[in-house]
Amino acid sequence: MNVQKQNHSSEQQEQILKDQKKQRKASYQNLMLSVSSILLFFFIWEMVALLKLVPEHYLAPPEAIFRLLIIKIHDPNPDGAVLTVNILSSLQISFTGFIAAILIGVPLGWLMGWYRVVDSVVNPIFDIVRPIPPVAWIPLTIVWMGVGLKAKATIVFLSAFIPCVINSYTGIRQTNPVLIHVGKTCGASDFTIFWKIGIPSAMTMTFTGIKLAIGNAWSTLVAAEMLAASSGLGYMILQGRNFGRTDIVMLGVLAIGIIGTIIITLFSHLENVVLRWKRK
Amino acid sequence: MAIEKEVILQLKNIEQSYVVDNSVKQAVKDVSFNVYKNEFLVILGPGHCGKSVLLNIISGLESAQKGQVYLGAEPLAGVDRRISLVFQRLALLPWMTVIDNVAFGLRMAGIAKAERRKIAQKYINLVGLQGFEKSYPSQLSGGMKQRVGIARAYAVNPEILLMDEPFGQLDAQTRYAMQEEILRIWQQEKKTVIFVTNNIEEAVYLGDRIILLSSCPAHVKAEYEIQMEKPRNTVDPEFLRIRKEISDNTDLAL
Amino acid sequence: MKIMTVKKRERHKNTFYQILSVASVLGLIGLWIYISSTSRFPTPGDIWERMIKMFQYPIKGKNIFGHLLASLQRVMIALSFCWTFGLAFGILLGWNQKCRAFLEPLFSAFRAVPPLAWIPLITLWFGIGEFPKILIVIMGGLPPIVVNTQAGIANVQQLYLDVGTIFHANRRQMLFQIALPSALDAVLAGIKNSMSSAWVVVLAAEMLGGKSGVGFLISRGMDSMDMPLILLAMIAIGSVSALFAIALNTIERIACPWLLKKK
Repeated sequence: MNVQKQNHSSEQQEQILKDQKKQRKASYQNLMLSVSSILLFFFIWEMVALLKLVPEHYLAPPEAIFRLLIIKIHDPNPDGAVLTVNILSSLQISFTGFIAAILIGVPLGWLMGWYRVVDSVVNPIFDIVRPIPPVAWIPLTIVWMGVGLKAKATIVFLSAFIPCVINSYTGIRQTNPVLIHVGKTCGASDFTIFWKIGIPSAMTMTFTGIKLAIGNAWSTLVAAEMLAASSGLGYMILQGRNFGRTDIVMLGVLAIGIIGTIIITLFSHLENVVLRWKRK
Repeated sequence: MAIEKEVILQLKNIEQSYVVDNSVKQAVKDVSFNVYKNEFLVILGPGHCGKSVLLNIISGLESAQKGQVYLGAEPLAGVDRRISLVFQRLALLPWMTVIDNVAFGLRMAGIAKAERRKIAQKYINLVGLQGFEKSYPSQLSGGMKQRVGIARAYAVNPEILLMDEPFGQLDAQTRYAMQEEILRIWQQEKKTVIFVTNNIEEAVYLGDRIILLSSCPAHVKAEYEIQMEKPRNTVDPEFLRIRKEISDNTDLAL
Repeated sequence: MKIMTVKKRERHKNTFYQILSVASVLGLIGLWIYISSTSRFPTPGDIWERMIKMFQYPIKGKNIFGHLLASLQRVMIALSFCWTFGLAFGILLGWNQKCRAFLEPLFSAFRAVPPLAWIPLITLWFGIGEFPKILIVIMGGLPPIVVNTQAGIANVQQLYLDVGTIFHANRRQMLFQIALPSALDAVLAGIKNSMSSAWVVVLAAEMLGGKSGVGFLISRGMDSMDMPLILLAMIAIGSVSALFAIALNTIERIACPWLLKKK
């Protein structure tokens, strides 16, 4: 067997090498296309700003935004806080709401999926609340809790809570019945099966829910900060808009986009670590 | 009689390798054989090596790195309308009803709706699925699904039908029934069939001729011609003798 | 006999759980009535009266249904664009390697910014009329449908494509007869997501600046501390989006009968 494996005509190896080369060339071309599209985007942006095709107070050129980024790190104008303070304030609110949503939503979803009593009590209420967009809760939370961290964190919580519940619920409902039977034949109690079999098999779906939740949390946060806040990235862009400072708005939008991407990437890595056993 | 046999398909020195984890793994090594018109040829081989690759090459899904397949006199280039395939896994399109699945090939060939319905209905009747025309594949049992697969391959009226372990995923009972079924269909609609399997009994039950492949890399190890009348009795002494002879000559699957 | 009793017990069990569900909804309503009787929180009756009052004294010339219709119109215009353009764009990204390589980085960057964060920039550029609002809703509704369509098309099982090859499907048939139908459930999920996203965005856009729509009613209620109005708007939007979700599920069942559970 092994001897035959080595017994390769040079033509065949050449053929295989050729194939590999072709593949590498294709992926290189794709990379070049990706890079060129980004460069083209910046080039058009720069040209439009440079040639004043659009008035300057409508569109700041890329380098002006970069300069502003450096200034904004120590200059609290015009919204009253430096960039880092805004970022930290936004992160604090979104993480408070998001973590609360995980701590409550995920176990609730698991329990609803496993115990029918919980399901029949909670599901109808959940169905009533779910169609109301989280943004619509803003006035109520302000009336109940003022404009502080608690109100905003509650809004974020509501938006992150729903995907957490739905996905962990679906995940545990899809537990392979064979595994449950294995547990039963081994004489495990219902709770042990829930804990040792149900929850681990629901993990993938649960993580999908958590990732959706963090996207929702970050996006709702912006709305909460625009409607009721005195700091944070959402407040910063809204103030920028009120002062007609396009550069501030664009910086804020960029910061929100970049931070959101970083958080989601971190969570994907965390998922890979937690779900090691899933990989081959 | 043997002299009159007309060669319809010819494989010449076929070789195929793959790169797996940075090392070259050969799947098929110097395989040559002829296929005669209207015969039921079984390609028998152990394990998962080479058989499906060979069929993929004949069907045109893959091209061989070395060697050439000839259809009649001309070399085969890519997929050909004269060759059709019954897939190993139940490759029915789940969004189509039974009749649409059977008519799929005809639709791709641009045949008008009324005409293709008529042809599809004929083959649905042939495989005994009357009454299930409007069902979706998910509503059928494994054996019924594979009947749809067979009808679909027949419907495009190919000269050669390739069957890639079509009954591999069926339970033993259904498998026996389907073996009888495929013989009946083959006797009713004479076509050249190339049937791949790893089951020796199935091979002896169905084949006019058996080509026995070795373990990895696959090459032709032996060829058997079986003259017994069909349908064959699986406990006939002659049947058992051939079965044992092939069995003794087969490599163990790893 | 024995089977009968098992069945009976099963039925009793189901009834028990149904009663439990009804009780939990009744409990929620009871809680609401209790809270509203002990605080300034409006009772269900207050909300009903507020709705009636709106027919007599419309806000900005519209009663609750008028405002609902205004929001609905924005959502529908935006979604009809998202569903046509987004589907086409998703197919392009999923089907053509080169297009994906060229356009995906830009699209991912666009998608990284939550739609609500675009609101200030869009209003800065286009003012607060009807067009910028619809544009923002489009920005919210587009990503889910594009992402799902792209993923659905790009992840078509090789087996199905092989079936196409064997039966001589051309490139066009491969896309429309095989790739697209097999991606249909992903596309439908995208359509549902885009709808719920569109409702969130239209609400936020109307709350931040507008003279009509349910979002406007909410921010109006917030400014004048008109709690019944806020709750009325919330109930209105909740019921409409629930109705939409039901409608879409029904459409899904009709359009994709093969996705139904095995009989």
